[in-house]
Amino acid sequence: MQDRPTAPELLDALGDFMRDRAANARDRWERFQFQVAANSISVLIRELEMEEGFLREEWRGLDALLGAEAAPEGQAALAAEISARNSKLVARIRAGDFDGPAEEPLLRHLFETVMNKVRIANPNEAG
Amino acid sequence: MADSRSNDTADAAIEGLQRVLGAGAQFGAPWKLAGGAMHDSWAVDQTGGGKPSELVVRVSPAGRADHEKTRREFEVLRVAHERGIRCPQPIGVGECAGGEDFLVMARETGDANPRQIVAGESFGEARRRLVPQLAEALAAIHTIAPRDVSAAPAMRAPAPGQDCLQFERQVVAEAYELYLLNPHPAIEWAFRWLDRELEGLPSTGREPCVVHGDFRIGNMLYDEQGLTSVLDWEGTHVGEPEEDISWFCTRVWRFGKHGMEAGGIASREGWIRAYEQASGRSISRQRVAAWEVLQNIRWCQITMMQARAHLDGQTNSHELAAIGRRTAETELEILRLTGVAERVAHAG
Repeated sequence: MQDRPTAPELLDALGDFMRDRAANARDRWERFQFQVAANSISVLIRELEMEEGFLREEWRGLDALLGAEAAPEGQAALAAEISARNSKLVARIRAGDFDGPAEEPLLRHLFETVMNKVRIANPNEAG
Repeated sequence: MADSRSNDTADAAIEGLQRVLGAGAQFGAPWKLAGGAMHDSWAVDQTGGGKPSELVVRVSPAGRADHEKTRREFEVLRVAHERGIRCPQPIGVGECAGGEDFLVMARETGDANPRQIVAGESFGEARRRLVPQLAEALAAIHTIAPRDVSAAPAMRAPAPGQDCLQFERQVVAEAYELYLLNPHPAIEWAFRWLDRELEGLPSTGREPCVVHGDFRIGNMLYDEQGLTSVLDWEGTHVGEPEEDISWFCTRVWRFGKHGMEAGGIASREGWIRAYEQASGRSISRQRVAAWEVLQNIRWCQITMMQARAHLDGQTNSHELAAIGRRTAETELEILRLTGVAERVAHAG
């Protein structure tokens, strides 16, 4: 186990630094660059906090659409396997497997997974 | 304000000026204008006689330069300027020895900051004027027929008789396949939705026209009287008016003013009516709605392309990397526009 500061605390410190540099920037371009950097730090903080839960949710959603499978241990393996299952989902959508009544559960899943991405990437847009 | 980026395209700007104006032309030191991700723009004052004296040289760095595209843009600008459309007067175009593209234009007055025009208190009057002015400029652009710019290298165009929306759907889909970084089930579904819509859309029976291709609130210059110049013609191609009308409404170009779908300055319906009034054409709302979904897919594809430019090592930029995380909000917009968000909410 790492010593404090924790990862979110360390990222917080970095974010404060970026925001300070943005506020005291020499020009518009530099201000924008530091604002973007501070924003990316905020994305990472939210991702550390929420992504694992969202991945579990997405896995369950894919289970409902593609058939249940045992989820791998560990977040990195889970993310990699979800990406592979999403490729399968894409192929099924293209094949027309979700046209008609099967579309409703697909749309619910798509909306929820997209919404969870937005909650991390840009929560202002999630409202 | 000056810009703290490195000035590595200044030499190319000078070389471009000398090629266009002659080696004997005299001008002051160029200064860099706030610019886009793809080009650097340099302001230069020509001294000692020649006209016009206030110039802009836009330089595309070698490797990112597309000579044909820049020459085509020059040619379309020339036609548009001759027709009195508010746009920069093009003066010269070419390539530097180092592979950079340059486009020399007369420098227009006005401000390009989109956040100020959508929200600035002293720009209320300009906002009001801008809607009919932009509609008029766009309608005038759409009177340009592909044959009017025949001197230009071939523009992207639908096959004879092909539906313009169907054609651009293919263009976007091909680029999407090329730049895709990870699977996007929501976008795949959106393509299927669009294909179903396309089957139900009546044919327009119109001849295709020249479209601007990047007509949005951030690509204009304005002052407190409204529009001064329509900029950034590099995306120009053959299409139909609904393409430009819908790109202007795409959520990413509202700069936070989401109640005003058309560029943060008008409602979508107000904008379409202003265009109809300026052009005398009638515009199908259903077609614009389908186009707006495609334009959001296009923006998804552009966010992927920009993130990929960083990830592939082409342009090392945390800014481009961060744009990759903006795909999601655009997918959400697609789910809103297609009624999915509402259907899911009602199903509880």
